[in-house]
Amino acid sequence: MSEIRTLIVDDSSVMRKIVERSLRQAGLNLLVVHEAGSGTEGLDVLRSKQVDLILSDINMPSMDGLEFLRQIRAQNLAPGVPVVMITTESSEEHVKQAILSGAQGYIRKPFTAEQVKERVLSLLHAV
Amino acid sequence: MLFNGVRKADLARARGCGNNEMERTMAVSLRESVQLVSDPRNLDSSVEEVFQLMLGVACRRGSVAPVKEPESVTAVVGFGGLLSGACVFSSGSGAAMRIAGLMTGMEFEETDDTVKDAIGEICNMLAGAWKGKVPDLSANCGLSVPAVITGRDYNLRVQAPEFQLRHFYRFENTGFAVTIVCDGIQ
Repeated sequence: MSEIRTLIVDDSSVMRKIVERSLRQAGLNLLVVHEAGSGTEGLDVLRSKQVDLILSDINMPSMDGLEFLRQIRAQNLAPGVPVVMITTESSEEHVKQAILSGAQGYIRKPFTAEQVKERVLSLLHAV
Repeated sequence: MLFNGVRKADLARARGCGNNEMERTMAVSLRESVQLVSDPRNLDSSVEEVFQLMLGVACRRGSVAPVKEPESVTAVVGFGGLLSGACVFSSGSGAAMRIAGLMTGMEFEETDDTVKDAIGEICNMLAGAWKGKVPDLSANCGLSVPAVITGRDYNLRVQAPEFQLRHFYRFENTGFAVTIVCDGIQ
């Protein structure tokens, strides 16, 4: 698989590192990883960088993950790029909100590297 | 002790968005599910799940409080919605640094910002896993972003909670406490 440019958005730097490690464990060894600590920072990254995959937390201060997702779509910042939400919120209502906001995938924290691999690879192969 | 950290947007989302959805949600009550919500096994299984999946270690409930260390680390994640209260994680700095080390693969000699970040995330996942055990709670209760406190010789006091669970856990050769405080239930 060619180089995968990924944006990871989470207010926790530890979680960003764990997500990155999980992606590498999934076999995506040629990752270029951009990090953002909020939805606002994530939008700034997307204005200056092209990415192939976005993984975002939902529960963040300032701009949360769902608003980030809506802004991506509204501003047409990453057309066709799959977005996976990674969050502690796991109810059907939260999943529905994420899908309605434009997410293609949903991973519940805590997660295993295998779960990340499964979701991400299926999305990348589908693009 | 008030927990007002849950943002209005989270609560609105936790309760559904449209008017019909809101009416449906408001009809939901946890009053009749207090036994289920306060079941201590939910907390134990949440702690075991989070530690196994995110740290790769077995964690078991213990009967005694961890040995007190000079410095303590406490993380708080608030609940808002049908249930108001908080999930509180507390440990000595040694346990906190070990948890952060297992999460990041790094070694720590002090409770720096990375350790605090890791403990906040652990508390966030514990809160999410615990409320996820009860479907009505999962759908109708929002979480605040974590707050982390470090220091020496401090106590947390909650006035007249609806119910409270306080459990001690052990992993490797160290331990910590997790407290679920409910100060209001609808």
